[in-house]
Amino acid sequence: MRIILSEDNDILRKSLSFFLESKGFTVDQFSDGKEALDAIETNNYDLILTDINMPGISGMEITQYVRETIGSDVPIIIFTSSGVEQTELDSFDLGANEFIAKPVSPAVLLVRINKLLKTRA
Amino acid sequence: MDHTEEPIPHNELARLAALKRYNILDSLPDHAFDDATKLVSYICGVPIAHISFIDESRQWFKSEIGIGVSEVPREISFCRYTIMDSHMVEIPDTHLNDRFKDDPNVVGGFKVRFYAGVPLTTPDGYNIGTICAIDHVCKDLNENQRNALSIVAKHVINQLELRTKNIELDAQKKIAERAVFAKDSFLANMSHEIRTPLNAVIGFTDLLAQTKLDPVQQDYISSVQIAGENLLLIINDILDLSKIESGNLVIEAQPFNLKKTLKHIYKLLKVKVPKEIEFNLFLDADMPDIVIGDQGRLNQILVNLTGNALKFTEEGEVTVSVKLVDETDDHYSLRFSVKDTGIGIPEDKLVTIFERFKQAEESTTRRFGGTGLGLNIVKQLVELHGSEIQVKSKQNRGSEFFFVFHYKKVTQDEIAVELISENKLGKLKILLCEDNFLNQKLVRSVIQNFGFELDIAEHGEAGIELLSKNKYDLVLMDLQMPVKDGYQTTEYIRNEMNLSIPIIAMTAHSLVGEQERCFDVGMDGYVPKPFKQAVLLKAIKTVMNKDLHAVKKRKIDFSYLDEMAFGDPAFKKEMITLFIEKIPAEFEQLEEAFNSESYDKVKKLSHNMKSSVGMFMLADLSHSLSIIEEEATMGHFTSEAGNQMNLLKCGVNEVVKILNEL
Repeated sequence: MRIILSEDNDILRKSLSFFLESKGFTVDQFSDGKEALDAIETNNYDLILTDINMPGISGMEITQYVRETIGSDVPIIIFTSSGVEQTELDSFDLGANEFIAKPVSPAVLLVRINKLLKTRA
Repeated sequence: MDHTEEPIPHNELARLAALKRYNILDSLPDHAFDDATKLVSYICGVPIAHISFIDESRQWFKSEIGIGVSEVPREISFCRYTIMDSHMVEIPDTHLNDRFKDDPNVVGGFKVRFYAGVPLTTPDGYNIGTICAIDHVCKDLNENQRNALSIVAKHVINQLELRTKNIELDAQKKIAERAVFAKDSFLANMSHEIRTPLNAVIGFTDLLAQTKLDPVQQDYISSVQIAGENLLLIINDILDLSKIESGNLVIEAQPFNLKKTLKHIYKLLKVKVPKEIEFNLFLDADMPDIVIGDQGRLNQILVNLTGNALKFTEEGEVTVSVKLVDETDDHYSLRFSVKDTGIGIPEDKLVTIFERFKQAEESTTRRFGGTGLGLNIVKQLVELHGSEIQVKSKQNRGSEFFFVFHYKKVTQDEIAVELISENKLGKLKILLCEDNFLNQKLVRSVIQNFGFELDIAEHGEAGIELLSKNKYDLVLMDLQMPVKDGYQTTEYIRNEMNLSIPIIAMTAHSLVGEQERCFDVGMDGYVPKPFKQAVLLKAIKTVMNKDLHAVKKRKIDFSYLDEMAFGDPAFKKEMITLFIEKIPAEFEQLEEAFNSESYDKVKKLSHNMKSSVGMFMLADLSHSLSIIEEEATMGHFTSEAGNQMNLLKCGVNEVVKILNEL
């Protein structure tokens, strides 16, 4: 299973990829939203994991582009430390499958990822 | 099945929006819903029952019996028809039903023969899901069963509404808590603003009283003095309350001599006791001398309670007693009691006397004076000690206030420290940097009382000059001075002169965050003005014995990082190194952006840093960053953001220091 992880905070990004890799996933990591989107367009990912606030473009824009322009239904998990409820509503409206508030619990993240991948398979 | 005829409710988009508002999809199992499902299965006598919600692509089961999956695609769900309806859909025998007889879940799959489903309709009229009873055999529900099913459906919707309302309430509660916090810091800051000029009023009144006055003038002056002192008491009370409420009041745990403290309080109050009253102090013979706790607060509680007792007692006696009620290997439990033979408290007022601005009678305030805050502060201080204040009283017979404190025992080392600090300070040579003549005078007399030597500098520059000529043990530093203020002077002493001499700040401000700033520039102690002799002496002892006292240290919680690192020490170390490299640099950028009010930059940096400090579970730093981010989003920094920046700076320095030492 190949996951793309887009998060601009180095410590969090490295830790999450380390954790997911230890669980057997292949993780491509990006700290810039635009670069992440370029990678999504050229590669075939099983799941997208993205932060909202990033340089380049935001996780919201990535989600919108994947759903509307690429027309893909690849599972998307958005996480953010914004405590605003509207952000969560907007994420789902754009077509995200999951919304997780930071700090992201690794165990919960894993359960959600597995669930999304299972539903799809 | 003909897919061109997929049933879609006419209000589908609004329906999906309504469903999302409840945030129920993919939520964790919930007893309330499971119970409702069980109820449906019992009432209808069926092996399969469920509560489900239908979004654009799937039917998701919030709770189910006999199904075993968490969701099915919408195209194969029976319930996609049920949500088209406003009433119950009942199919006694699917084999006789034209729409379903060839359905994959009738001929195979779940082998549905009987189906009864009630739409779950929101108060605004959207069918967001269903509650269903299903069986493998034909069945007819009776009227009672149908009614029951509809009632359970209504309960499920009520449950959902309740859940949503609870979440909204939570959000409102958070807003309210912030408002209270804002009020408290406003109170704290205002009290200080008032205290500063009040000090001048009291100080100059004292000077005026020492000049040659006629009897009338003397009478006026003494009235001003009394009013000033009372006003100061009120302000101090309000300050204490706001500190307690904003969580800024910490109960200290330092060794202190309990017996001496109690005798000191007794002597202090004894002076004011009229002849008609017998004032006693009874100490348990088994009582320990030295315990670990907060001497200042115990003082405050007992002085307050005893002061009240004396105030309300016209004849008879007032007795302060302390009794050892329990002792374990590491703790003493002591019962403190203040008992009087005064006017007493009516039974129906025993609770309200602890409320703010409430005294037993409205007339009490006129007769006896006082702010009505004292007992409330005492109650909260006792509670901060993890105890409870109790009161027994009979009108016209007297009252007894008592509470039990659990003090930690001191180890032999700690006793040694206490003894050293009491005896071995010797004759210290102290330098005072202070521009105010009154304060100079006051400090000089106090320091001479302590038996130390004092030199005075009018301002920071003069202080630096004296420091370079003479040898001192300690510097007392006012913060606001002409030429060079206390912060600049300290920075110069630490960075240019490279002196590690202990420096204690003395200030009338004691604003939130100021203390941090003092420690930040390299001061060792902090005494708020107007200072009490004991507080100053304690501060001096503390900084002179710094090496002997264990430095209070933050403990970093690595559990989150450990979970991520999956037991790999090398990775954990890598992340720690990254934190040490990244965070101080990021903080510098943040500080620069903050000082130049680049709101957008502050917002981005603080948001990003939040993720980093979250990895190390530094909740306090995360909180500071949240407030800074919030104010940056609003496009305006208040003093609160400035305070949080100070806290953050200290926190970052401290954490990095600890991580470096690992």
